[in-house]
Amino acid sequence: SPLGGSGQVWIIRSGSDAGQRRVLDEATRQRRLTRQLEALEKDNFQDDPLSSLPPPGPTARLPAFKKKRRKTRGDHFKQRFRKNFTTLLEEENLSERAEPNYLSAAAPPSSLPPRLFCCVCGFPSHYTCTTCGGRYCSSRCLLTHRETRCLKWTL
Amino acid sequence: MATLVLDNGAYWAKIGYSQDKVSVIPNCQFRSKTSRLKTFTANQLDEIKDPSGLFYILPFQKGYLVNWDVQRKVWDHLFGKEMFKVEFPDTSIIITEPYFNFSSIQESMNEILFEEYQFQSALRINAGSLGAHRYFTTKPSELCCLVVDSGFSFTHIVPYCRSKKLKEGIRRINVGGKLLTNHLKEIISYRQLHVMDETYVINQVKEDVCYVSQQFYKDMEIAQMKGEENTVMRDYVLPDFSAIKKGFCKPREEMVFSGKYKTGEQTLQLANERFAVPEMLFHPSDIGIQEMGIPETIADAVQSLPEEMHPHFYQNIVLTGGNSLFPGFRERLEAELRSLVPAHLPVNVFLPENPVCYSWEGGKLLAHSPDYDEMVVMREDYEENGHIISGSPRQPAPAAAGWSHYQRNRRSILH
Repeated sequence: SPLGGSGQVWIIRSGSDAGQRRVLDEATRQRRLTRQLEALEKDNFQDDPLSSLPPPGPTARLPAFKKKRRKTRGDHFKQRFRKNFTTLLEEENLSERAEPNYLSAAAPPSSLPPRLFCCVCGFPSHYTCTTCGGRYCSSRCLLTHRETRCLKWTL
Repeated sequence: MATLVLDNGAYWAKIGYSQDKVSVIPNCQFRSKTSRLKTFTANQLDEIKDPSGLFYILPFQKGYLVNWDVQRKVWDHLFGKEMFKVEFPDTSIIITEPYFNFSSIQESMNEILFEEYQFQSALRINAGSLGAHRYFTTKPSELCCLVVDSGFSFTHIVPYCRSKKLKEGIRRINVGGKLLTNHLKEIISYRQLHVMDETYVINQVKEDVCYVSQQFYKDMEIAQMKGEENTVMRDYVLPDFSAIKKGFCKPREEMVFSGKYKTGEQTLQLANERFAVPEMLFHPSDIGIQEMGIPETIADAVQSLPEEMHPHFYQNIVLTGGNSLFPGFRERLEAELRSLVPAHLPVNVFLPENPVCYSWEGGKLLAHSPDYDEMVVMREDYEENGHIISGSPRQPAPAAAGWSHYQRNRRSILH
């Protein structure tokens, strides 16, 4: 099948489309969707204002000697208190544990078919972009889609 | 001896002494473009003149408390002399944790509460359990309720038989206020104006203009109309933090339907965004999340429990959490459930006056109830027994026995 394999690209020359049109396979489409959903989990989309400060200039006072490291209430405290969510979840080792647990409590997929919306304007959509699988509602939205998002950020 | 009740949410901390009222305070730190060196903690947000591009530092990830550095800084501020001035040796704390909290996080919390802050005693409990307690206090004849807790990180459906949560019926939908705001930011950025960095402003937009539709496809049709016929469309004036301190929705009478506004204000035009965003709570598949929405999940959860309990749950559905504040949320949920639930079973969805603070109010009641002393863990017990009591003390009987137990003892519970 021309759409099989990971990241494989099939080049189509069509009469109405003077140039070449890539068609992304299912795996790539799924990766794009996963990336979009992960982006929705972010707390911020900009950098930390503190981290973008310029480094101190030559007049900044540098320590002349290495300060003796003050032992806070156990530095191991801090390491343990800074693990991220994925690490903590793995450490719970839930596959070994009895249900019900965090993983088994996840809501199952819906029995209803998904509703489809134009990825440009958000209104109900009846058509699919042949290249990337994005939905659109009209030729105007398709044009906008092709000019902006269609093959952007393709993995 | 005082009891501090802290509903430690991923976005808001609801905190107050049990004999006082509740304060709702951001449970995070902030940084601003205009004063880069300073980190603002919790309600110091009010000191920020220009919240554009506001940077959030949250202790929670996906609803679980992972960053103790930040949480301790927020707690230091809340417990300190500028806020609640806690006298730790004489204070008991009721603090909430998420469902199926990780044991490592529970241990860390015990350590911090008892060894670092040194509270006299502590009770770790789910927010929904406090909500259920509050509900049963107003409805003492009811045996069961179903708490729908839709907050910042996710939405939980939790069935309760009096004080006991039925774990096998708990469901988690990974859609919460954070997702809704980020999605709104994305679609506005694509369609109108780049706002990906403006979490604070767009969150306000969401709270001001979004609603839950009672007739989704009809509203979609109306939202596509032109001019004054489009009764869904609203213009939202964005704040510039000098003349306009806070964004607001233009009233319909002032809207200009053709051409531009004469004044120099920046506006957003919101039509289908108004109701398509909260729709994700009902249909997560709208943006590709392969999970049931709230109504379907409620039906799925109740179905998994013994049949004789079903009517009791459907009659006592309690909404808590910020997302239940969307206009039309309660009505839509009740309507959707009505079509999913067998016709002979009554469906009743209860929206409290203050869904954000409902659980906190339950904590306040619990602090004054005669059972409280049996439920808390004293610091001395923790120091003697440590990890053994890292779970909830005096575990109640397993859920399977719970229903018949309650049926047998109904009279004694109802007194």
